[in-house]
Amino acid sequence: MKAVTATKAVIAGIGATGFSKDSGRSETRLAADAALDALADAGISPEEVDGMATFTMDPTSEIALAREIGAGALRFFTRVPYGGGAACGAVAQAAMAAASGTADVVLVYRAFNERSGRRYGRAVPQDGAPTGAPASQALELGWHVPAGLATPAAWAALPARRYMHEYGATGEDFGRVAVQMRANAATNPRAWFHRRPITLEEHQASRWVAEPLRLLDCCQESDGGVALVVVGARRARSLPRPPAVIEAAAQGSGAGQLTMVDFYRDDIAALPEMAAVAERLWADSGLGPGDMDAAILYDHFTPYVLMQLEALGYCKRGQAPALVADGRIGPGGDLPVNPHGGQLGEAYIHGMNGIAEAVRQLRGTAANQVPGAGHVLVTAGTGVPTSGLVLGAYS
Amino acid sequence: MEDLADAARARGEVDGGTAPDPVNAAMVRHWLQAMGDTAAPYLDEGLAPPAMLQVWTMPGPDGGPRPSAVDTVLAGLDARGCTGVVATDCTQAYDRPLRMGETPRAATRFSSLRGPKSTAMGRGYFLTWDTTWYCGEERVGTMTFRVLKFDPATRPEPRAPGSAPGGTPEAPPPPPPRTADTAFFWDGAAAGELRIRRCADCGTLRHPPGPLCPACRSAAADHVTASGEGTVHSYTVHHHPPVPGRTAPFAVALVDLPEGVRVVGAVTGADPADVRVGMPVRADFARGGAEPPRWRPADQVPLPALELELTRTSVTAQALATRDFTPVHHDPDRARAQGARDVFLNILTTQGLVQRYATAHRPGARVRRIAVRLGAPAHAGDTLVLTGTDRPREGRVDVRGTTSLGRHVTATVDLEDR
Repeated sequence: MKAVTATKAVIAGIGATGFSKDSGRSETRLAADAALDALADAGISPEEVDGMATFTMDPTSEIALAREIGAGALRFFTRVPYGGGAACGAVAQAAMAAASGTADVVLVYRAFNERSGRRYGRAVPQDGAPTGAPASQALELGWHVPAGLATPAAWAALPARRYMHEYGATGEDFGRVAVQMRANAATNPRAWFHRRPITLEEHQASRWVAEPLRLLDCCQESDGGVALVVVGARRARSLPRPPAVIEAAAQGSGAGQLTMVDFYRDDIAALPEMAAVAERLWADSGLGPGDMDAAILYDHFTPYVLMQLEALGYCKRGQAPALVADGRIGPGGDLPVNPHGGQLGEAYIHGMNGIAEAVRQLRGTAANQVPGAGHVLVTAGTGVPTSGLVLGAYS
Repeated sequence: MEDLADAARARGEVDGGTAPDPVNAAMVRHWLQAMGDTAAPYLDEGLAPPAMLQVWTMPGPDGGPRPSAVDTVLAGLDARGCTGVVATDCTQAYDRPLRMGETPRAATRFSSLRGPKSTAMGRGYFLTWDTTWYCGEERVGTMTFRVLKFDPATRPEPRAPGSAPGGTPEAPPPPPPRTADTAFFWDGAAAGELRIRRCADCGTLRHPPGPLCPACRSAAADHVTASGEGTVHSYTVHHHPPVPGRTAPFAVALVDLPEGVRVVGAVTGADPADVRVGMPVRADFARGGAEPPRWRPADQVPLPALELELTRTSVTAQALATRDFTPVHHDPDRARAQGARDVFLNILTTQGLVQRYATAHRPGARVRRIAVRLGAPAHAGDTLVLTGTDRPREGRVDVRGTTSLGRHVTATVDLEDR
C-alpha cells in the first residue's frame, strides 16, 4: 500500500540565505530570511503558514519563526530527531500534514551558525549529547566519548575503516567522491567552494582528521538557512512556479540502531537504515534506482556516499568505489550525484540545501542542470536513523 | 649564550680521560647491593651491569679535573644565575658489556643549548651533550644526556593540586553517565573486570547494556566477566580536532570479544600507526572506571609492581655507589637549599633501578639500550613504585616509576635475548 504522502503533496517553494562561514546574523534571523525567501518563491503569503516542521537540533522554535514572519495561528508543528537524518523526514511529516489536511501550508526550515557558532565537528562533552537529545542518547555516547571517540568524524571513521577492510577500498576511493563534489561546486555560484575544485592529489595530501578520514573527506561547517514550503497537491495548479511532486517520502532506522555510534550490529560496513528507507521509497513511488535522473546523497563523510550507493541498490556491496571511479556519479554519468556540489562543496545545511537543489533540478533551473531531470532521489544523514525522498517534476 | 654554545660545539669531541680504575668486582658488587639487584648474574659472568657505564668515568668527590665539552657552557650558565641543575633525559646505548679488567675512556661532544625556557623549576636552559665510551679504539657505549640549568630565584609558586596555570580551577572530566541499567559495567571497570550484561532468563549477552533483553524481553539480568581478550574489528586514529584529556594522535578500537559482543575502548601500549583490524588485544584497566577498559596488544604483558622505600641511607648509598657526589643526593640541607624536600635519587640510580626492574622479568636477556625521561624527584621518605609492560615483539620493556609527587620516570629498556 502506498503511504498517504505519495503524490498528494508538493514542494511549492524553496528559499535560502547565502552560505558562509560567518553570517553575522542570528540563527532566528537566518531562519526567517530563508522562510520568507521560500514563501516568495511559492507565491504564498506568510499569513497562510499554519504548519511547521524542523529538526530537533534546530535552535529556532516554531513559534519564534512564526512570530518573525507574521504567520497566523499554527495548526501543526513537529520536529524530527537524529541530526542530519531528519532532513527528508521533516519534509515527509510536512507532506503527511498537508496531504491529510491537518495543515495547508507547512514551512520546513533549518538554519544555524554552525561555523561561527557551535561547530558540530568539535569534540562533544564527555557527559553530553546534542542539544535537545534525549538522555538515552547521552547514554549511547557515554560508551564512546570517555574512550576518546568524541567527534562525528571519529564516529564515522570506524565504519569507514571496516569498509576498507571488507572490500579493499582505499583512501583514493573516498577521495574520488570529494573530487567530484568539489568539481560540481566549482561551477555552482551558490557553493562556498565555487571555482575551487580539488585534485585527488590534494585530497591525498590533506591532513588526517580521524583516520581513515582526511580533512577533504569531511563536509564543511557552514552558516546559513534553507526553507521549503510544502502544500497539498490540490494547490499545485495555482502556484507561480513548478512545484516538485513528493512521489515518496520515508524515514527509517536499522534494527538495534544507535546514533552515530552504531557499532554493534553484525555488519558495520553497510547502512541498513538507508536500505530500509530505500525499500519504502521504491515501493511507494513505484519507481526504481534506474528511474532516477539524479541523486542528492547526504555527503557528510565521503565513505557514507559509497555505502549509500550500495544501500540504495545502485550496485552490489563493495562495488561503489568502482562505480565512482567509472565516472558514473559525475555529469553525464548514469546517476549524477549532487550536481550542486553537496555538503562537501556547496554548504552544510544538514541536508536541506540538497532538497532545494532537487527542486531546482526538477524545475530545470539548477546551476549544473541535468537535462530533462524528471525524478530525483534525495537522502538524509547516515550513521543515524535517516530519511529519503523521491521527488518528481510536476506536469 | 649562543657564542658559548658555538665555542663548545667547535671543540668537537673532548677527551675526558680514562677511568681511574678498571672494571672490578668490588665496585660492581657495591653497585648491585645499592640497587638491590644482587640476584643478577653479572659477577658470575665477569661482566659489568650495562647501567654502570657512566659510573666508571665519574669524577671523584673532588669533582675533577675531567675536561668535558660542556664545562664552559655550564660555567657560563652558573655565571648568569642558572646555578640549579636537574637531569631530564638520558639515553644510553650499549655496544657490548664491559668485562672485568677493562678500563673505559669517555669523550664528550656538545650537542645543543635551548632556551631560555620557563619551567616548573624556574627559567633556564636545556643543555644536551653526547658521551662516547671507548675501550682502546673500540666504541663500547654512547649516551645522550640532557639537563635543565635553571635560576632557582625564578621558580614559580607551586600550583595547588587540581588547579590549572592562571589559577582557574580545572574540573576533572565528568564521569561517564551511568544508570541503574549500566552501573554494573562501570563498577566492574573500576574493579578491573570487563562485565557483560547477561539475560538471567535466556542467557543472551548484550553490550552496550539496557534495561531489557531484546531477545526475550526479560528484565532479569546478571553479568558475566569477559576474559578480557579480543580482536580489533575496526579502529580510528584521531588527529583533529583536540579531544580534552587526550594527546593526538591516539587510537580508539572497536573490539570483538570471544564472548560475542563488541566493546569500544582507547588503545594503549601501541603506536597508533601499528593498530590493525584483526589485531589481538587484551583489556587494560589502568584507568579504572573513568572510561571503558583500554585495549593493549595481546602480546604485551603487564609486569608486577615493585615498591621501593626510599630512605636517606638508600639514596645516599646509591649516590655513592654510582660515584655521584653532588650534594643534593647525600646532604639534606643542600637538597633543601635547592628547593627539594629532602635528598633525592640521582639519575644514575634511576637508571640502575629501571635496569633491575626490566631485567628481573627477562632473565638472561642482554640490555642494549636504556632511555629515561625524568619527571618529579624521588625523595628520601617517599616510596618509588615501578610498574611496566613487557613488549616481547619489540624486544622492549616500558617502565614507569611513580612517587607521591607523581611520575618520577618514564623509561624504555631494549633487551636482546642471548
